[in-house]
Order: sequence, then structure tokens, then C-alpha cells
Amino acid sequence: MIETQLLISVVDDDQSVRESLPDLLKEFGFAAQVFSSAEEFLASDTVMKTKCLILDIAMPGMTGPELHRELERRRLTIPVIFITGHRDEAVRSRMHEEGAVECLFKPFSDTALLEALNKAVPDR
Amino acid sequence: MDLSEYILEPLRKDGEFTLYRGQHRNPEHARRSSILLMAPMSRHRAPSNLIQVGHERSLSYELDLAWDVRPIGVVQHDKQPVLVLENPAGEPLEALIRQRMETGQFCRIALVKAFEEIKRLNDRLQGENVTLREQVDHASDPALEIKHLRRCINDLAGVLMFPVVWRGREPAEILATFVDSLMAMLKLDFFYARVMLKAGERPLEVLRVGPSYQTSEESGQISELIAEWIKERRGEPPPQARRQIGNREIAFFPMRMGIEGELGLIVAGSQRAEFPKQTESLVLGVAANQLAIRLQQALLLSEQKRAASELDRRVAKRTRQLAEINEELQLQAEMLQHLPVSAWTLKPDGTPDFVNQVWLEFSGQTLDFVRSHPEAWMTAVHPEDRETASRAFRDGVRSGKGFAIETRSLRAKDGTYRWHLQQAVVLRDAEGKVVKFVGTTTDIDDQKRAEEELRTSEGKLRRVIDTIPTLSWCNLPDGPNEFLSKSWHEYTGLSPEEAHGWGWSAAFHPDDLLPFMKRWQELLISGQPGEIEARLRRYDGEYRWFLIRVAPFRDETGAILRWYGTSTDIHDQKLAQNQALRSEAFLAEAQHLARLGSFSWRVSTGDIKWSEQLYRIFEFDPGISVTLDLIGSRIHPEDLPVLDSMIGSAQRAQTDLEYQLRLLMPDGSIKFLHLVAHASPDHEGQLEYVGAVQDVTQRQLAEAALAKARSELAKVTRIMSLGVLTASIAHEVNQPLSGIVTNASTCLRMLDSTPPNLEGARETARRAIRDGNRASDVISRLRALFGKREVTAEPVDLNEAVREVIALSLSDLQRHRVILQLELSERLPLLNGDRIQLQQVVLNLLRNASEAMSGVEDRPRRLLITTEQQGKDIRLTVQDSGVGLAPSDVERLFESFYTTKEDGMGIGLSISRSIIEAHHGRIWVTANAGPGATFAFSIPCEHSS
Repeated sequence: MIETQLLISVVDDDQSVRESLPDLLKEFGFAAQVFSSAEEFLASDTVMKTKCLILDIAMPGMTGPELHRELERRRLTIPVIFITGHRDEAVRSRMHEEGAVECLFKPFSDTALLEALNKAVPDR
Repeated sequence: MDLSEYILEPLRKDGEFTLYRGQHRNPEHARRSSILLMAPMSRHRAPSNLIQVGHERSLSYELDLAWDVRPIGVVQHDKQPVLVLENPAGEPLEALIRQRMETGQFCRIALVKAFEEIKRLNDRLQGENVTLREQVDHASDPALEIKHLRRCINDLAGVLMFPVVWRGREPAEILATFVDSLMAMLKLDFFYARVMLKAGERPLEVLRVGPSYQTSEESGQISELIAEWIKERRGEPPPQARRQIGNREIAFFPMRMGIEGELGLIVAGSQRAEFPKQTESLVLGVAANQLAIRLQQALLLSEQKRAASELDRRVAKRTRQLAEINEELQLQAEMLQHLPVSAWTLKPDGTPDFVNQVWLEFSGQTLDFVRSHPEAWMTAVHPEDRETASRAFRDGVRSGKGFAIETRSLRAKDGTYRWHLQQAVVLRDAEGKVVKFVGTTTDIDDQKRAEEELRTSEGKLRRVIDTIPTLSWCNLPDGPNEFLSKSWHEYTGLSPEEAHGWGWSAAFHPDDLLPFMKRWQELLISGQPGEIEARLRRYDGEYRWFLIRVAPFRDETGAILRWYGTSTDIHDQKLAQNQALRSEAFLAEAQHLARLGSFSWRVSTGDIKWSEQLYRIFEFDPGISVTLDLIGSRIHPEDLPVLDSMIGSAQRAQTDLEYQLRLLMPDGSIKFLHLVAHASPDHEGQLEYVGAVQDVTQRQLAEAALAKARSELAKVTRIMSLGVLTASIAHEVNQPLSGIVTNASTCLRMLDSTPPNLEGARETARRAIRDGNRASDVISRLRALFGKREVTAEPVDLNEAVREVIALSLSDLQRHRVILQLELSERLPLLNGDRIQLQQVVLNLLRNASEAMSGVEDRPRRLLITTEQQGKDIRLTVQDSGVGLAPSDVERLFESFYTTKEDGMGIGLSISRSIIEAHHGRIWVTANAGPGATFAFSIPCEHSS
């Protein structure tokens, strides 16, 4: 059973997100890892194991989209779900264009997250 | 010649002559009229030492010229012809003879002729008795013949006597007498004589015709014949000839005078067949020679006479002249004596020989004294002048040039020394020898003194002219220059030659020359003084402005003699004047623009002077006399006490004034005035206020409007900031909301799971509550920041306030990827102020910094916020690494509506400044050493707000 659990990585500088989101992902049946910055994530050995990345857009240092592009540059095709506190449709459509699975505005519902996860890892 | 008057005694036998001395019987005449007789020893034989002399050198001629002995004739004595000599000058003849005879020449010459003639006569009379006898026989009447011969002897003696008769006669007269005598003597039919008196002159001619040729035709024929005959025979002795005149034949007998006939020619003519007999030709020959000699002699005498008379005439004339000169000299001497100047003469050696009366009177000396004391005149000369005078005197005398010496000489009358000019000229004789020095002594004291004074005053004047820093000059009545002062030449660098006439015009600026000349011509015509301004070129080429003043100088008749002028350098004044005029214009303009009036107020006299603008501010007619009452009438009634107190304190003591006053204008409008005045003593020492009054109504109104606008703006800014911060606020709120939602969802799922995960649910619920509180905090902060409330003063912890702002701005900063660094001082005192307003300032600075870095990609977008205490101030700085500032921006950045941002409104910083200044602080900006800028404000920790 454990071997079947897919690893979802969360990168967000907000502590409440990092505290609350892993519990919900576990409820959905995923394994979860949290990082407070993009640099921390890239430096970890989790990158290659991650089946899906939940990524905050606005962060000090490397931003979410920058991390996304860095992964693409490394030819690491990890499905990315962006989350952001700024309700800006223009940002969401731009994220879609850049290949994001979904872009969720905070606060988002558990079902919206599950839906996005299902899109990100349909073969689960 | 009567020998009987003489006592004759034989003197001696000299060679072959016998000499007799003839002493006059009358003892009174004895010495003077002694005569000498000379007779040859032998009647038949000539003395051997006799020398034949030619006709041309006659005996008497020889004797007359050589001695003062004159032969006076040949006479019969003791049946013997003797030559009689006399000495008109009365020299003792014996001595003469003794002296001269020894030469032998005398006798030889003297008797050659006489002896020859006598011998020939004797030969004929006695020695040749046969011939004579034959002739006598032939003449049939021997007695007649003897008579004839005797007559011939007499004729000869007569002829020889001619010179005695002719003495002192004119040649023409002699000739006439000669011709007449021979005509009569030889009973000729005509006689012609022609004498060459001088070479080149017409010969003297006489033709006498006897009674047988009385017709003019016949005498004319004779004349023509002779002329023709002479002409034919020029240069040769004409031969004897017989010619036919009328029906009668006539014999022509010519005889030349002089060896070559150069003395002349005589021609005797007679109808007698035997003509000329021997005796006749003898007589004619002797006569011709006598004539020639006598004429020569007469000519010589007449020339001597003429010379003598010319000499007499000249002597007479000279005598006359001398007499005149003498008269003149006497007059001159008289004049010299009485001339009103001292006059004197010196001998060639310089000793005085005459001084006139004036000199004597002046010097108090006498003529005798002066003559006897050659150096006397020197004693009258001032001791200081003696050496110079003495030297000049000696030089003048020695060189013979005369002298001119100026000395001070003692006036005997009053014992004073006066300046004199001693002048001497030299008189020379015809050979150039110095005869005398003639001189005068002239009193030139007054002249000298005047000269001295003139020279002194001229020198002074000249010094003044050349020294005064004004160029001076003098022009002739018609304009050209006569004189330019040294300073003029020095200034212009033009030499006197260059400036001569109209040359001075070269110094004028080309633009000024024409107007100057026009004006100068006007002055010349009008004869009025005037002044002209023109630029003159300095020697180095710089033109400077001069004020040229000129005035005419007139004689008694009013005619202009000269134009005198000065040229004064007014360049600096001119520039200053222009500057002053411009400044005045500027000031008036500035006062007008600034609504600023100026005034002066002399407290003691109440004399108030207003500038034009001040009248305009008070809306009084310009020029109206300003009094304190008049001013009071315009002052707003509420401000009258202020005015009164101001006047009171101003009058009491010297103090500087600064007051705000309002005017109530007639139309009911109000003007706000700001008055500033400074007190100082005026030039008379009286208290005077000088000040300015500015109409600040506009400013007052503007400030009021500005204050209102600013408060409105502050509100607007807050609202705008709210709008800008909406996203950030939403983010801040959304974060905890997101946590709540996620936690709540998880909680429900945990409760729904089997078995329910109660522990997890409890945990998530707890986190949801925490996030809820977080959201509540954000909301309350927002309310505080944007809530509408009045400004308050309370103790503020600036660090805390900064943290709150950062908390609100964090998401915004994150969005702009700003790396925030905080260096907040831990021991920061509280300050008294409005927390929210200060937070607004901080927020504004953070936003500006964030925006300044939004385009920066090549470096970290670093933002450093520091707080610290500096003395009594608390300072906050916000340092970014953005685009930085241009220096020009630094000055204006805090002005309203000034912005460097494309979408900015330019009000943020101006409001920030007004907030900081309201807290008695200040705000500023500096450019960083590296990229970016640093904004900062400082506020005093404690103040009574």
C-alpha cells in the first residue's frame, strides 16, 4: 500500500499552508513533502520522486513560475498546480499557457484541489 | 725868355757840354727862378756821348717825367744856341745837375735835339757857306735871303717855344693854335692836322684853308683829297705830291708824327713852286714833333686834372659825410647821455671809457671813478652773481663777441638789488679791429619777477594739468587742436604729431565720432559751452566712456580765442549708472511681481516715503503724502491695536519690526500684509526705519487652499493606497483564510473517516481557529490604517509601527520579489506623534522603493530598513537598490505633483513631507554609493506638539 502512495511536494512560504495542506493530501491518499522555498525544494532529493508539485506563485527569492521553468529546463516534467492569494484571472490563464495543470486561488476547496490532483496524476 | 733878367755865370764843363747857371737878378726870385743853360762845346761836332733820340721821345717829355726840370727853350747866347732849363719847384738846380748829370744821360737826352737843330742851322748859316751863298746868290738878294734865314731861326725858336705857350691847354685848343701859328708862320695855303689822342678814339682833325681857297668847293676838294690820300696810303707814309685844285696846282707836304705815324699826321699845302723849302720842312718837322709831344702831355695833364678833380669831388663829399656823421655822432652821444637806460662803452680791453648819466645816477658812482677803477661796475653786482657775470664779461671781451649778462645790481638810491640785463655789442673798424664795446644796462627786475611768477604759476598749472586724472586740451577757434595734456597722450598713446590738427579724432570710437563731430560743430557755431559723452580708445585698444566738457575762452570783444576742454573718464560710473538703471527697473519690476513695496520712515519728522508698488498695494494715488493716519485708515479695524503697538514700540526704541497686518479695502476685500523693517540711524543720525511690505493675500489664500487640498489629498492618498493595497490586503487575508478552509476540510474528512481521526481533527480545528485569529488581526490593522479619524498625538514605538506596515506590505513586497532586510534599533525611545500618519509615510517609502526596483533584473532587489536614535532624533532610513535618482530630482522630489514615475501622481512624497514636518522633523533623500537611493526622515523624540 505504501509503495502505491504517490509523493506530492508542496512549496509555499506561508506556514499555515505548509501545516494544513499535507494532512488534507494524506486524507486524499497521497504522500506529502513541504518546502518553504523553491531553492529548498531544488536542493532536496525529493525532486525526482515528486509526482506532482503544489507551488505558491509569490515567494521571496525564486518564485513559483521560475521554479516551474527551471524544472522544464532540467527536462523534469512534474505536473504543477499553482496556488496564489491574488485573485487574478490573467495570472491563471498565463500559468495554463506555461503548462501548469491548474492554478487555484486561495482559499480553495478540498474538492477543487482533488480535481486538480486527479488531472495532474490521472493514472493513480 | 729874356736872359738879361739873369746873371749868367759859367758853371763847369761837363764832358763836351758847357753849363751856365742863371741867377735871377731880383733876389726875391733868385731861388725860385734859377735857370740852367747848356751849350755844346763845339759848334760843329756833336758830343761823342750823345745818343740820338727819336721824335717820339721828346727831350722835355723825358725831363718833365724824370725830373722837376723843364726845358723852356733854346736861345742865342754869346752867339751860340743854348738850352734853357728851369725848375718850377725851386729845387736847387746845381744839386739836381750834379746828381743827375753824372749819369750822363741828362745831357745826352737834353741836348740831342737842340744840338742837331743848332748844328743844322749853323751848317746852313755858316758851315755850308757855299750853298747858302749860292742860294743867296740865286735869290739875287742875299740880304733878303739872310733875313729869310733869320726868320727861319726865329720860327724854329718859336716852334720850340710852343710848349711854353701851350702849357695847361686842352688838346683841341693846342691843335687849333698850332695850326693857326704854322699857317701864319709859313704862309701856307692850307694846313691839315690829324692827331690820334687815344687808341680807339676818333682822331682830332683840323683843316685850315688860306685866303686863296675861300670857296667852300675848293676847301671841300682839299678835304676830300686829303681823306682819299690818307686812305690810299694807309699804313704807309704818304709821299709828297702836287695836285690840281681848281685851276691851280698845289704842293702837298705830309709829315707823320711818331715813328710809325701812330701819333698822327700833318699835311701842309702851298701853291708856291719851291714849297717846301728845306727850312720850311725843318720847321714843320720840329713843329710836328713838338705838337705830338705837347698833345700827349696835354692829354696826360687833362687826365691828371680830371683825376684830381674827381679826387677833390670825392674828398669834398667825404668831408661832407664826415661832417654829417660827426653831427650825428654828437647827437648820438647826446642821446646816449640822456637815454632813459644805462648806457656805456668799453675799450677793446674791457675797461670802461664812458658811462651815461643814468648809469651814474643808478650806481651812485662818478665817471672819473669808473674810469679809474675798471672793476668798479662789479662792486654794484650782487655777490652771488659776480663770478658768473665776471666770467661772461671776460669771455665776451676776449672773444670780441660782446655779451649779455643778467645780474642783480645794487641801486644806490635805496640800496636794493634789482635784476638787470647787461648787454654789449662790439664796434669794429674797416679792418675788423675792435674799436669799442657799446652796451646798455636794462632794469628787468619787474619783468624778471613777472617771468618768475609766470613760470612758477605756469609750472604749477602745467603740473596740475598733467597730474589731474582728467585729460585736458585746448582747441583753436575753428576746431583743430592746439594743445593736449600729457595725460591725454598717455591715455590714448597718440603722439603730439599724430594728434595734431584734427588727428585727435582718431582716438574716438567709430560709433561716437560722427555724433561727437556733429555736436562739436554745433558748439563751434553757437559758441556755447557744452558737454558730450563719447568713448575714447586707450593705448591698449580698450574703449572707455568719457565726459567731454568744453567751454570757449573769449577776448574783450567777445571773439573766441580758444576752446578749453576736459575729458573725464566716466566709464565705471557709466557702467554703474547703466547697472543702477537696470537694477532700478528690475527692482520696480520685481516689486511689482512680488507685490512687494518698500518704505522709509523717519520717526522724528514723521516723514514717510513709499515706493510706487506700496501705493498700489494700499490703492492710494501715487504721490499722495503718506501719514500714519492715512495708513491707519486702511488698516483692518481688528488689526488697529497691532498697528498702534507697532508704532509705539518703533518710536520708543530702535528695534527691528516684523508684523502681519490686514487691510480693509474700500470694496470690502481684505489684504494680508507682511511688514518687515530695519531700524538704523540715517545720515543725519536720526532714527529711520527702512522696510518692506509684502501683499501676502495671495499667499495666504493659496496657503489656506493648499492646506485644504493637502488634507483632501491625504484622504485621497489613503483611499488610493487602499486601492493599491487591495490585492496585498486580500493576500494577507486570503492566506489565513486558505489555512482555515484547508484545516476545516481536513478536519471534516478526518471525522468522516472510519475510524474517525479525532486527534487529527482536533489539531486541524485548532489550526483553523489560529488562522481565523490571524485574519482578524489583519482586518483590525486595516481598519486602523484606513479608518477615518482625526490626527492624534500619542507615544509611538516606531519599530512596532514599521513592523505592522511591513506585515501589511509583505505580500506586495514578495510579489515584487523584494528581499527585505530589517535593522531596527532595539533601544529606540518612543516618540510623540500620530502612529497611523507615520505608518502612512513608511508605507509610502516602502512602495516607492519596491517600485523603483521593479525593473531591476541584474541584481538582488534588496531593501534595507533601519531605525536608530541620533541624539534627540529618531531616524528611519529606507535604502533600495533601484534605478536611483537624478541629482535634479533630489531637489524637487518632495514637491507636490512632481514624479519620476510614469503612472505616478507625484503627491506621495509631498504628503509624506507635510506629515514629517508636522512632527517637527525633516525628510530627505540621498543617492547611494552603489545603485539605488536612500530615503530618510528624522523626528525629535520629544517635543511639545
